[in-house]
Amino acid sequence: MNFETVIGIEIHLQLKTKTKMFSPALNVSKEIPNTHVHPIDMGFPGTLPRVNKKAVELSLIACQALHCEIDDCLHFDRKNYFYADLPKGFQITQNERPIGKNGYITITIEGKEKEIGIERVHMEEDTAKQLHYSTFTLLDYNRCGVPLIEIVSKPHIRSGQEAAAYVEQLRNILLYLDVSDCKMEEGSLRCDVNVSIRPYGQKEFGTKVEIKNLNSISNVEKAIDYEVKRQKALYLKGQPIEMETRRFDEASKTTILMRKKTSAVDYKYFTEDNIMPIQLDKEWVKQVTSNLPELPHQKEIRYQKEYGLSSYDAKVLTSNKSMMLYFEQLVKFYHNYKIMANWVIVEMLGYLNKNNQTFEQIKMKPQELAQMVQYIDEGKISSKQAKDVFEHLMCSEKTVDEIIKELNIVQISDDHLLLEVIHAVFNEFPSSIEDYFAGKDRAFGFMIGQIMKKTKGQANPNKVNQLLRQELEKFKK
Amino acid sequence: MGYLDQSLEKIHQDLKEHKVTVTKLVEEAIEKATKLQKECNAFVTFTTEDALQKAKELDQKEITENLFFGIPFAIKDNYATKNVLSTGSSRILNNYLPIYESTATDLLNHADAISIGKTVLDELAMGGSGLSGATGVVKNPLDPQRLIGGSSAGSCAAVTAGVVPFALGSDTGDSVRKPASFGGIVGFKPTWGRISRFGLYPFAPSLDTVAFFTRNVKDSAYAFDILNGYDNKDMTSFNFPKEKVYSKIDGNLKSPKIAVLKEIYETISNPEIKNKFDHFFNQCKKLGIQVDLISIDKKLYDTIYATYMILSCSEATSNNANLDGVNFGNYQDGNDIDKAIIATRTNGFGELIKRRFIFGSYFLSKENQDKMFLKAKKLRRLIVEDVNRILNQYDAIVLPASGNIAPLFEEVNPTDRLSDEYLLLENHMAIANFGGLPSITIPCIEHEGLPIGINITGKAFQDKEVLNLAYALEKMIGGNKK
Repeated sequence: MNFETVIGIEIHLQLKTKTKMFSPALNVSKEIPNTHVHPIDMGFPGTLPRVNKKAVELSLIACQALHCEIDDCLHFDRKNYFYADLPKGFQITQNERPIGKNGYITITIEGKEKEIGIERVHMEEDTAKQLHYSTFTLLDYNRCGVPLIEIVSKPHIRSGQEAAAYVEQLRNILLYLDVSDCKMEEGSLRCDVNVSIRPYGQKEFGTKVEIKNLNSISNVEKAIDYEVKRQKALYLKGQPIEMETRRFDEASKTTILMRKKTSAVDYKYFTEDNIMPIQLDKEWVKQVTSNLPELPHQKEIRYQKEYGLSSYDAKVLTSNKSMMLYFEQLVKFYHNYKIMANWVIVEMLGYLNKNNQTFEQIKMKPQELAQMVQYIDEGKISSKQAKDVFEHLMCSEKTVDEIIKELNIVQISDDHLLLEVIHAVFNEFPSSIEDYFAGKDRAFGFMIGQIMKKTKGQANPNKVNQLLRQELEKFKK
Repeated sequence: MGYLDQSLEKIHQDLKEHKVTVTKLVEEAIEKATKLQKECNAFVTFTTEDALQKAKELDQKEITENLFFGIPFAIKDNYATKNVLSTGSSRILNNYLPIYESTATDLLNHADAISIGKTVLDELAMGGSGLSGATGVVKNPLDPQRLIGGSSAGSCAAVTAGVVPFALGSDTGDSVRKPASFGGIVGFKPTWGRISRFGLYPFAPSLDTVAFFTRNVKDSAYAFDILNGYDNKDMTSFNFPKEKVYSKIDGNLKSPKIAVLKEIYETISNPEIKNKFDHFFNQCKKLGIQVDLISIDKKLYDTIYATYMILSCSEATSNNANLDGVNFGNYQDGNDIDKAIIATRTNGFGELIKRRFIFGSYFLSKENQDKMFLKAKKLRRLIVEDVNRILNQYDAIVLPASGNIAPLFEEVNPTDRLSDEYLLLENHMAIANFGGLPSITIPCIEHEGLPIGINITGKAFQDKEVLNLAYALEKMIGGNKK
């Protein structure tokens, strides 16, 4: 039996604001717990929420970039439930009228583009952070009240691979917009996935299972792949798939039941009367949404036009904001864009992956890489030598010139020096000259090898090539 | 007799002429408060030392033109006061010391008024009797066999007894304007959004209003001047310039027209009381006021009480969800956090408000929202539209604040709760909360030696006009006689 997988993704994103969503406490992570807390965050009686304008601005930017219809009249609602991490006993959110709806983003899977719809984008506040220990739980209210947007996709995603591409692309766009840190491992971008399966052709959706606690993009894919397998097995055994919440267990790479959703909680949503509807100034909205930074797909097109890159290279370079930023520095220093792009995509990315590092950790200044490429083009160093230089540059703050000197790999391009070496080789291996004229191609290569050996690989290969042929021609006469 | 049952202007004059000192005023207030506490149980907390200290400091200062200078006052215990116990008259907050000051009390402190203590209310402002405060029943100083009404019971008792000339209350349905009627004093609820609610414990934010008691209308006007204005801590406070109305209250009316809602007015069951109010309206006519008995859609107005209960209970259940003992309050232990929250709330709340929470939860639940909560919101809108229609033709709606004098304790609910008299006459003042309208109760008639007030409700933002009309009527009636 063939099944179709149906996936919807909810993303909670912490916004990069100075202060919290409804209080003047600072919005800072990685600080000593409970040092940035205002009476409003604690739900103290009589305190009232004040909407953070910057959070609205960042939400608008996100909505615009995700092609959403924007509601320029802000409405807030309460979601009521009791929980230790929720001091007010309700969360202020946007239930009835999200700030954005009906958007989409485009993902690329194996060269094919696909549009994934976005159901809604709404603003809300984060809860306190719970730190569970064996016999007790600690609460950190620094996180309580941090501005969030929730981005809810339409059920357009059909596989773990697509889901991973969706989250990656969304994350990349949001990073370009600079609205959030988007760090999954630190919880500034949190991802919940709804997965269901149905036999091909069936119109109705299957029973959906929610997976929480996905702290990396690769885990999103793994969790879904496992979950789909689990659901198919149940289906084929004729067992029911139940509405439940599961979490991904990294060690076993499986999903584990957290709770059944049999008695769904009634959140008793109703309007937040402490914030009257706020009609945003249309001019202001226009101003905020018309000044978006250049987004990945726009850069992709520009790189092909302006730098003559292949569509593949342009896509790879823009798929990661830090890589893009590095490349945009490079192009300021030298003009061999294709080669520079190649160094970034192949060598640099390879190096980082191998050493488990990110672009932020690179020590090499972009002008040094540009300089290095220029030296190759000018024949000052060979491509082979360049790889050596590159490895050294990646882990030090030295300049290309310093490294070249240190490694003693100055390329010998001097004609006199090279001619001396060539003649020495002729004297040592006279039979090679005969072989060469007898039409044995290998003889030429052999002589080059000997020259390189004598110069410890520092001879400029182009130059050697040219000079060797020139000297051999003299024997002909 | 002392100073504190006089008008602010009179006290201020004597302060200026050094006939009395601020210390003397505070001492008088404390002495009277102590006596009142024994007889009527109006206070939860006294701030005697701080009050005397501040009085001493003020006595060193030059007296300004500010009428609140050195005036002792009382605060309903549902305002957060920094480092002063603020219990909301609930056991769940019996140890709660706020680290912030409500905007209203902050403004009064800055106006050099001196708080002598926090007063009892119906638990968390839910109730209209003064019976449900955690520290016990509040009695009516005019007759301790009777209740004073609520929820702002202690504040009303304090002004009624002449302990202070001004006390802060709060008004969600009629929590200031009803007790004012039973105490024979002035209770004013300004336009919603004119005074910041920051620090006022929320009952139902869309209805809650900072409101207060004084002994005469001009004092209320002065208090309004101190308290009104935009506050960046309350997004529902209107960003209008601060209003100064006191000097403009002169009782001069330009061809005034008032509406008496016939179907409500005619439910007064006691003919003697009805006669006295008829007489009052006749006097109004003699004063040149056009008094029209106008007919309303009774079916619509019959829903006021139900609408009020549905909206206020629904909002209350959410607003008081913060009282779970986790971050503050009277925490009760449990095996896990859920059980601890349940234990805290079970132990911390009185029976009456638990019932309201259950109602509220019921009205808001998914299956009932449409039928109840949203329907009540629609009714609220329809009622407000109708009231505003009337107020477009009249300067104010004027009706008795109550159909009778303060009830005896043994007859807490003397009126049949499903009778027209109860549903309409005893609950019509919630109209002003529905529409956010300025509304004031002033003493009007006496029956068996006890007062009943008249209520005046005007258009939103016409606080000055409502006060001015009230002032004219107060002059006509002769003011507070006690």
